[in-house]
Amino acid sequence: MIEFTLNGERVRTDAAPDTPLLWIVRDTFKLKGSKYGCGMGQCGACTMHVDGEAVRSCITPLAAVHGESVTTIEGLGTPASPHPLQTAWHQQSVLQCGYCQPGQIMSAAALLAHNPNPSEQEVEQGMAGNICRCGCYPRIKKAILAVASDAAGSELAEEVTT
Amino acid sequence: MSGVNLSRREFLTTTGLAGGGLVIGVSLAGCGASRPPVTPEAGSFVPNAFLEVTPDNVVRFFCPRDEMGQGVTTGLATIIGEELDVAPWNMDIVFAGPHEEYANPIFDVQITGGSTSVRGHYLPLRELGAQCRELLLQAASRELGLPVGAIATDDGHVLADGIRRPYGDFATAAAALEIPEAPPPLKPASAFKYIGKDFPRVDGMAKATGTATYGIDIDIPDMHHAVVKRCPVVGGTLRDLDKAAALSAPGVTDVVEIASGVAVVAKEFWQARKAADALEVHWDLPELAGLSTADIQADYRTAMETEEGLVAEEAEDIEAAMGEAETVVEGEYWAPYLAHAPMEPMNAVVRIEGDEADVWSGTQGIGAAQGLVARYAGLDKDKVRAHNTWLGGAFGRRGTLTHVVEATQVAAATGKPIHLLWTREDDIRHGLFRPASLMRIKAGLDGEGNMLAWQAKRVGGNITPDTIANAMPGLLPTAIGDSVIGLAVGLADHAFGGWVVDGSSVEGLFEDYEAGHVDVRHVTRDHGLPLTFWRSVGHSYTAFAKESMIDELAAKSGQDPVAFRLRHTQNNPRLNRVIRIAGERMAAMQPAPGRHLGFAAHHSFSTDVAEVAEVSVEGNEIRVHRVLCVLDCGIAINPDIVKAQMEGSVMYGLTAALHGNLELVDGAIRESNFHDYPILRMNEAPSVEVVLIDSDGEPTGVGEPGLPPIAPAVANAVFAATGRRLRSLPLRLS
Ligand code: FES
Ligand code: FES
Repeated sequence: MIEFTLNGERVRTDAAPDTPLLWIVRDTFKLKGSKYGCGMGQCGACTMHVDGEAVRSCITPLAAVHGESVTTIEGLGTPASPHPLQTAWHQQSVLQCGYCQPGQIMSAAALLAHNPNPSEQEVEQGMAGNICRCGCYPRIKKAILAVASDAAGSELAEEVTT
Repeated sequence: MSGVNLSRREFLTTTGLAGGGLVIGVSLAGCGASRPPVTPEAGSFVPNAFLEVTPDNVVRFFCPRDEMGQGVTTGLATIIGEELDVAPWNMDIVFAGPHEEYANPIFDVQITGGSTSVRGHYLPLRELGAQCRELLLQAASRELGLPVGAIATDDGHVLADGIRRPYGDFATAAAALEIPEAPPPLKPASAFKYIGKDFPRVDGMAKATGTATYGIDIDIPDMHHAVVKRCPVVGGTLRDLDKAAALSAPGVTDVVEIASGVAVVAKEFWQARKAADALEVHWDLPELAGLSTADIQADYRTAMETEEGLVAEEAEDIEAAMGEAETVVEGEYWAPYLAHAPMEPMNAVVRIEGDEADVWSGTQGIGAAQGLVARYAGLDKDKVRAHNTWLGGAFGRRGTLTHVVEATQVAAATGKPIHLLWTREDDIRHGLFRPASLMRIKAGLDGEGNMLAWQAKRVGGNITPDTIANAMPGLLPTAIGDSVIGLAVGLADHAFGGWVVDGSSVEGLFEDYEAGHVDVRHVTRDHGLPLTFWRSVGHSYTAFAKESMIDELAAKSGQDPVAFRLRHTQNNPRLNRVIRIAGERMAAMQPAPGRHLGFAAHHSFSTDVAEVAEVSVEGNEIRVHRVLCVLDCGIAINPDIVKAQMEGSVMYGLTAALHGNLELVDGAIRESNFHDYPILRMNEAPSVEVVLIDSDGEPTGVGEPGLPPIAPAVANAVFAATGRRLRSLPLRLS
């Protein structure tokens, strides 16, 4: 029996411990936002956070998250209460087919958590593990930089007012 | 030998093979289910198959085309919403089910593709929107006791006498009114509130939050998962199979032989996948197993040398014209087989219960999905409920639905609801491909640098016969048996091999520039790999050959590449203008030291596009830093989405230009996943500037035309950088 926290809730499963986390989340816990794209850590469509780190859940065995805290796109934000990246993705029409985007956004969220003010090049390097077949790269990059500078801006504003 | 040039549109709208002795006497558009397209809610107003206004003020739009990322839901909602006067983002947009009412007006079949959606629906949907608004106005007029002229509308509301009431208040009354024969007049462009304006896509938030449901996400009670083990060589057949090990693997419930291989069914996907990987199976290999890419290339080259080919465009005196030329340039161009690799691999969910069935799949043709399930489950078409979903990319790939057939066969054999998912390896190796092509162009210029002669030949496979083979079983009534279809398909194969040029095979090779004499030939060489439409179809390779040659001609005759193109498009004002504007911008680009510019232009899907690529070459590495894209697509329904399509087409085309290659080794595709079939990544992606030419002309294609110019623009920039002409895709300097 493996136990972990999924978007803040304790969950447990007796699935085979070598099952990739992606399929446990999708098929056992029915959270379908994380996608299968390659199954070999090449495309990032399955990206989730495990204790705040972006991981490719298609090559993360279930056993590896025992006792850990897993966050998926559903845990990052919802249409009613979106994460700033999700708002930016919507407002700037970043996406096309959208299939890669939960993974892109999870990677971007982890990137900004570690580096709140990335350079253009740092964004490119940080996001290079996520493929977008529709080719939304220029918009993804722009949206991440905009969210970063908005956050920096509001922090600055906070500093000024306090 | 002479031939007839048949475009795929003409072919698809031809109900049989005219002149081929076989005419199937049914209209494909008339093959939909007999059930009504919309089941209205109580008290709803449903003036047509596309709109429903409910009493509680939901304005629902039944979107007839499939959303694969191109923005069609936003685009078509904008078009119908403009005349209805409802903001697209305030509509409830649902995917239309299979019905003849939802046929693509350009193909007459319920298919999404060929960059036709906005083009085809622009006027019809506006008329339907206007008609619905008119009836709501009439209903309001009666209820409020005011003349229609005293009533205005605004975003789903009726405005009169200082009141603002939602359309829903008048839905039931409007439903009782007679629908007028003639549609009311349409708005002038100057009155547009939504068309031509930028606003966020309607699907943005759902897709950004992971709440949009794709085919792969469908989950129904008792659903079992299927994975298919396939012969590495297309067309191989099962020799022997040991099911025992797989059947004893955890979770596995069934092992089923189907036409395309062996399906392993389990409670969970991962169980099915592991058991399928471990399956002991042997195949009888087809003839293709003896072939590798080098053999195919050699065969193409022999055909190029020895066969005259069918005539796609004929100039009787081409040799004489060539003889008069001062400068003659010849080039041979190669484009490899490619996979589409949409991010969401193929999948379908099929449930058969008694004499009824359901199918869920994100497809470019939901009508065909319905027909295929009916055919392979032995059911009436109107007993099959077909549900479309968001598509995780398509690019032509989701027009062929073998995965729906497989899911149906497995569901029928096991009696279980089946979720069948192709792995990425299946997708790269076992799908349908962009055909490989060998093209030769010879062109002659007179002493003043005018093109006297353009002679082109292409050798390769044809897309249309495979497309027909895959589409017919889904589109034709189930009463038409497999043997008749087999006959028709055989005939199509024969026709395109022997006496008709498949338009898709040569499109774009010669149409754009003026030359005194134009001669185009085609030689069919088909080694059995299944072929289909791949974003921009024939243009994806012909533009590379044509625009490389144009650039070479300009260089060889000492002319500026833009001026040379302008001079040869005098009778083609739309393309000419795009070239001129892109050329002016190019002149102002000022690339940094070490960077070089390349130019290309191409007309496809009724749209004209010119692109400039800014490239650097370090060692053998080609880097594309910046792309300028200038286009005329008529009126842009949502300019920002048009720009996004150009950006995406550039990226898709760059993947092909810099990386895309499938190599056949002993009949099997060598590549299998993104590590050896790489897709452009963000750290390689250029910035893209899109310039949309202001136009009030009717809208033309957008999903594909941005792709063809990019590979030659990059190749021409590489020439500027290195003096080397790269005539093979993907572009390699080593
Ligand atoms: S599906 Fe996990 S990286 Fe591609
Ligand atoms: S939006 Fe389609 S793959 Fe990224």
